[in-house]
Amino acid sequence: MENIMLPQAHKILKVLRETQAEYTFRVAYDRPTAYNQFFQLSIPKIGEAPISISGRGVGYLEFTIRKTGRLTNGIFGLGPNDTLFMRGPYGNSFPVADFEGKDLVVICGGTGMAPLKTILNHFYDHPAIARSVHLITGFKDVNAVLFSDELAKFAQKFHTIYCLDNMEAPGFHQGFVTQYIKEIPFADFADYNVAIVGPPVMMGLAAQECLANGAQEDKIWVSFERRMSCGVGKCGHCKINGTYVCLDGPVFNYTKAKNLFD
Amino acid sequence: MTAINDVAVQQNRQQFYLFLARLYEHEVSPALLRQLRQLTYPTACGEVTLQAGYDQIHTFLTANSHVDAIDDLAVDYAKVFLAAGEPKGKAAFPYESVYTSKQKLIMQEAWEQVQAEYAAAGLALVTEQTDIKEDHIAVELKFMAHLVRTEASLAQQQIFLHRHLLNWVPQFCQDIARYSRTTFYPGVAKLTLGFLQMEAKLLVTADAPAPKPPSYALSYAAMDQIISQWQEHYHVYAPKLMASRNPDQPELVRFGEINSVKEIVTDRQSDFSAKEIYYPIMQTLFYFNQNGCQESQLTDDKDIILFLHPCDINALKRTDNIFLKNGGNEDIYYKRLRDKLKIVLLECEQSLPNCFCVSMHTNVSHNYSLAVRLGTDGVQVQVQDPSLAAAFSGMQPSQFTPKFVTANKQKAVLPEINNTAELKLAGHLDYWHKFDNNCIGCGGCNTVCPTCTCFDTTDVRYNETSPDGERRRVWSSCMLDSFTRTAGGRCVRKTPGANMRFKVLHKVYDYRQRFGGSENMCVGCGRCIARCPQDISVLDTINEFHDALEKAKSEVQ
Ligand code: SF4
Ligand code: SF4
Ligand code: FES
Repeated sequence: MENIMLPQAHKILKVLRETQAEYTFRVAYDRPTAYNQFFQLSIPKIGEAPISISGRGVGYLEFTIRKTGRLTNGIFGLGPNDTLFMRGPYGNSFPVADFEGKDLVVICGGTGMAPLKTILNHFYDHPAIARSVHLITGFKDVNAVLFSDELAKFAQKFHTIYCLDNMEAPGFHQGFVTQYIKEIPFADFADYNVAIVGPPVMMGLAAQECLANGAQEDKIWVSFERRMSCGVGKCGHCKINGTYVCLDGPVFNYTKAKNLFD
Repeated sequence: MTAINDVAVQQNRQQFYLFLARLYEHEVSPALLRQLRQLTYPTACGEVTLQAGYDQIHTFLTANSHVDAIDDLAVDYAKVFLAAGEPKGKAAFPYESVYTSKQKLIMQEAWEQVQAEYAAAGLALVTEQTDIKEDHIAVELKFMAHLVRTEASLAQQQIFLHRHLLNWVPQFCQDIARYSRTTFYPGVAKLTLGFLQMEAKLLVTADAPAPKPPSYALSYAAMDQIISQWQEHYHVYAPKLMASRNPDQPELVRFGEINSVKEIVTDRQSDFSAKEIYYPIMQTLFYFNQNGCQESQLTDDKDIILFLHPCDINALKRTDNIFLKNGGNEDIYYKRLRDKLKIVLLECEQSLPNCFCVSMHTNVSHNYSLAVRLGTDGVQVQVQDPSLAAAFSGMQPSQFTPKFVTANKQKAVLPEINNTAELKLAGHLDYWHKFDNNCIGCGGCNTVCPTCTCFDTTDVRYNETSPDGERRRVWSSCMLDSFTRTAGGRCVRKTPGANMRFKVLHKVYDYRQRFGGSENMCVGCGRCIARCPQDISVLDTINEFHDALEKAKSEVQ
């Protein structure tokens, strides 16, 4: 019988430093995954944490991890050729096939961009399959900016608004992502989807703001971040009401998400 | 002849009725579709129509991607059962009345008839879905499940099956095949028809009453001898007095190995539940080094005989659901111990002060290998499991069947949550703030609860520099303030009140919703009431929650 708790060893190919606190680990992996599914990564000396795929390529996956507290620290000692233990993929992904042929709005805050990056790249690589892509993303300050190369790349093909919470900088507006949602021409869209990832408060406010600007509830998708010890519906940590985020999510349509309460 | 009295057969029948009901009740949800994909489909079940159904569903699932299937099934469901976008009449309307009334209308005689039959069984239909009437196929199937679960007489089951379901479902299934555009629902139709036909046969052959399981009367000394025989192959565990870890504290009643049934404590509820036997407080999942992980092995090859009261036998069903069913996957660490268990039902002499099993419908259980009564003049045993029968041969036969308590001193009135709006109301009651000031978040209530299953995992390194170590899992507790804390330090539930609301809703609502049955997670064993250092009673909490919710509902109107 398959042991769902047993991780597999995977080779680290590369470690990319994104910011002072965030690193991207490129790990050898060659089985199918859906866009922003997550894996339970074993963090040396500590235990496991759920991390979404932030990038995919032939023969590898990328995970962007933030150095926060004692939990994720242990992983930053690892380098190329070391092994990383992980199991997955778990959870659902944004319904990307459904996003095709329509206008797409992506709103993210901080590391929230990581899980959306594979999707953004999909539309970047195949510009013909979306009518338009609007990307609003925010970071705390210039030091917290993630994926700068890709931000520059996306700016060429997408309608982008990049912002920093409390400062202005070249290429960045000042303010929260929620302030810029009014720039999105919801009224001009025949059909569209909105994907939001970020801290819970930000997601709530961003969804509200979209609604205030004429978006429909069922066009909005959010992705939840929860503490997870198992990823397979056993440990109970991710449960909200009768819903297990690891099994039924992490992506939820807003019509469902708005009724979940912690 | 299939042993219709076999517990597993009963459960399978009930589950199958509920499974079919679910398929007709709503369109297929993403979660259900995932479950359907994870099922192992029989390849030779022995019943032609049923097998054809399995095959067809399986083929559909393998041929279609998840996203496509969800859409196609939603469209097909609406078309076949709700006649969406179809000229009048071109659909398989899932109501008995439509098939049995001259005018082909809903809510005719058959509808009135089933209503009366449900009422006679003390049931009334409660649903949010306006399209679901009493004679909807899903409701009729669920009623059969109810008859099976409550062990209604076989005659009663047979009557309902023939008078209602088999009276119209064959035609209905033909219509599904005619109007469906996918191969999925015609597959479901075959599954339904095949299963109902099999049921009809089963109920006929089962007409002859099954032999009553044998019972024996024996002395305490004889029973203890049997225990020592068992001990060659089994550990025998029962609630008994054990020294507390703190020598100043009085002894506790916990599940420990016994040599004599005299050691069993029956005049008070055990302080800890039996879960520590089959779900240890701490267990090593695997050992790791640089190159890989190696699953931990059980070193003890003895099986386990476990003496449990009915509430705790029912609690096992709850933990089974989480570890073996939730997410459509099985947890091997739970399963490997669970598979070792043989249950001895320990008859309750009386209801104890904190018990409220009757309110939770957990006062009765027939899922046991043996049942025992520890009487004043000896021990009575009923043997349901042939593998434990040998030890009793030659003992004095008796008429013993276990009795169950039918009333407790206290009652739990469960909150009635009928829709999302009421759930929201329930989750946002001011009532919950009451616990911000008195619950200290110690988690003791979770520790003693036989149905709490949550855990944490942690890695232990053998020393600072070595990559070798092991991953362990340890019971966790949703009442701890750190339960939802993520790596980044964020908690989604921040107060004792929020934790209490979470726990209580799970115990009396969320779990039941998720597993789609009538059973709640809490089994009313009362252990957490005795345990709480702050004298918080889950029973009072349930009742006060009910009252606060009713009040809030009436204020909304
Ligand atoms: S919540 Fe309390 S009464 Fe209910 S099963 Fe758990 S310990 Fe027993
Ligand atoms: S309810 Fe009582 S036992 Fe449970 S966490 Fe609160 S104080 Fe501890
Ligand atoms: S992460 Fe363990 S139940 Fe969802």
